[in-house]
Amino acid sequence: MNELRQLAKELLGNGTVKVIIGYSEGTTPERAKPFIARTEEDAGKLIFNKYCVNNLAVYLTRKEFKRKGTIGIVAKGCDVKAIVQLIQENQVIKDDVYIIGMNCGGVVSGFGVDDTAVKCNNCKVKTPHLYHTLLGAPVETPAKDDGHLKLIQKLDAMTAEEKWSFWEAEFEKCVKCYACRQACPLCYCEKCIADKSMPRWIESSAHTRGNFAWNIIRAFHLSGRCVGCGECERACPAEIPLSLINRKMGMVAKKEFDYSAGMALDAPTLVGNYDTADREDFIK
Amino acid sequence: MAEELLKGGNAVICEDEKGRGWKRIDSPSEVRINHNEVPSNISYKEFVFSKTEPIFYFKNRKENYELAEAADGNGKIVFLGAKPCDARSVEIMSKVFNWDYKDKFFNEKAERTIVIGVACSYKDEFCFCTSVNINPASPEGSDIFLVPLDEKEYAVRIITEKGKEFISPYLKYLTEGNAARSEEALGKIKWPGKKFEPGKVREWIGNNFEHKLFDEIGSTCLGCGQCAFACPVCHCFDIVDEECSYECGRRMKNWDACQFGLFTLHSSGHNPRDNQNKRYRQRIAHKFKYYADKFGEILCTGCGRCSRGCPVQIDIAQVAAEINSTANRV
Repeated sequence: MNELRQLAKELLGNGTVKVIIGYSEGTTPERAKPFIARTEEDAGKLIFNKYCVNNLAVYLTRKEFKRKGTIGIVAKGCDVKAIVQLIQENQVIKDDVYIIGMNCGGVVSGFGVDDTAVKCNNCKVKTPHLYHTLLGAPVETPAKDDGHLKLIQKLDAMTAEEKWSFWEAEFEKCVKCYACRQACPLCYCEKCIADKSMPRWIESSAHTRGNFAWNIIRAFHLSGRCVGCGECERACPAEIPLSLINRKMGMVAKKEFDYSAGMALDAPTLVGNYDTADREDFIK
Repeated sequence: MAEELLKGGNAVICEDEKGRGWKRIDSPSEVRINHNEVPSNISYKEFVFSKTEPIFYFKNRKENYELAEAADGNGKIVFLGAKPCDARSVEIMSKVFNWDYKDKFFNEKAERTIVIGVACSYKDEFCFCTSVNINPASPEGSDIFLVPLDEKEYAVRIITEKGKEFISPYLKYLTEGNAARSEEALGKIKWPGKKFEPGKVREWIGNNFEHKLFDEIGSTCLGCGQCAFACPVCHCFDIVDEECSYECGRRMKNWDACQFGLFTLHSSGHNPRDNQNKRYRQRIAHKFKYYADKFGEILCTGCGRCSRGCPVQIDIAQVAAEINSTANRV
């Protein structure tokens, strides 16, 4: 923690960065919250531990930070994936961010709990794949069961009717608070399709049809883009297992196009790229 | 008793087993009274103030148009196991739904409501009912109030005339109790500490509209509606038309939240609350100042749902406490 504070102080002091998006202590020490450090004094409040669950890349596309000088960001490997994807999609200019990469041994699954998030079970980026400065020692963690995969396989094995009733029961609880969208670093559209009213593409009512429309369109929009940080699911007050949808779409992108979101800076994005060799056999 | 209630066509609403929200139960086995665990993620307000409901249906013809009223239900809406921070929700929202226009959608359901409250022995770092003049042993807002005596037994207190009338057919299920025993149980409840003085917060907001404190909080707020939608008393709604476009359709009343960028966007394109700082200020000011000024009620029950569930850990009691200490310093 001291090396983080020291580095932050230096970066803010010598003007390398304008602000640092990091974490500070929340209501209790077991809850970290996003914190924008603007001064050297603020740097002393920065922390990093297993309670730092937020993906702070969500703030990089905000109006007040975009093209306003270099922004420092404290990032775990999974957060760096989002930053890379944002750079790939030309939403963040590479030279506008200073990544303070954190070696990470996994974070908790949400606020006020002490278990490890499912996304951390088979993490491939415990040491971030892109950074300006890397802090902390690499952490070895034993490989664990991939909790999501089993559930996805179970869903895959269901009939269309069974799948429908599974998701109907889940989506019924959606209240359309859009916490999933707001917490997502890749949901950066200035005007979301859900907010368009002339014409209204997606019914804003939180009934079954409106909820299906919203959740399915979001899954489509994130296909081949979702980096699997799980923030949508964590933010959801109705506890809808959104990771299952996004992970499944990511698996399809991997299988059909050998593409993983947010892994290579110079790779063309999946949906923004066309190749004559692309498979077309799914078009029927 | 629950069985008889359900047979009578009443809607019995209990907290669901996962603590996500509240649900209408189908059988007595689903009864769940949570008096010593964390409150559900989402409050029960959706059963009086629906997250989405039709106002009317319309058919547009060349010479005239037709309106059809949306159907109403009947039977009682029984909230079973409302902690004191939930029990007051309908009563507080009633003020805004009745001050000039009488909202028949809310009132129709509110009139059918029976609140069976329960004394609460849960408290965590987010609870602050005592800061907004509610306490965990208070029957305020309840028609009938349960006091947990041990794991299986509750003392039943009849609080209102409505409660008395409601429970009279079921008295056979109750046995004569011992008031001293329930008084003792109530006395044992540990209250959450007072975190701020609501009057101070109200006064400070009135004089510090442009304070930088709101900018600090706004800088991390994501602008989702979790806080408003989990809240037992937030009551803003949006009106939209949907279904078959111009010729026919229905007009819907849907939950809306002041943290959304779209909330105050004018058709001209101008937005008086054009950033999250202003939107968060609105949230705090509405809860502790505007509602209090207009209706003499704080628009907050101290349940802590918004803080527990906030994806970026903005803690409303902490914010109010900070305002309180800033006010004290001046």
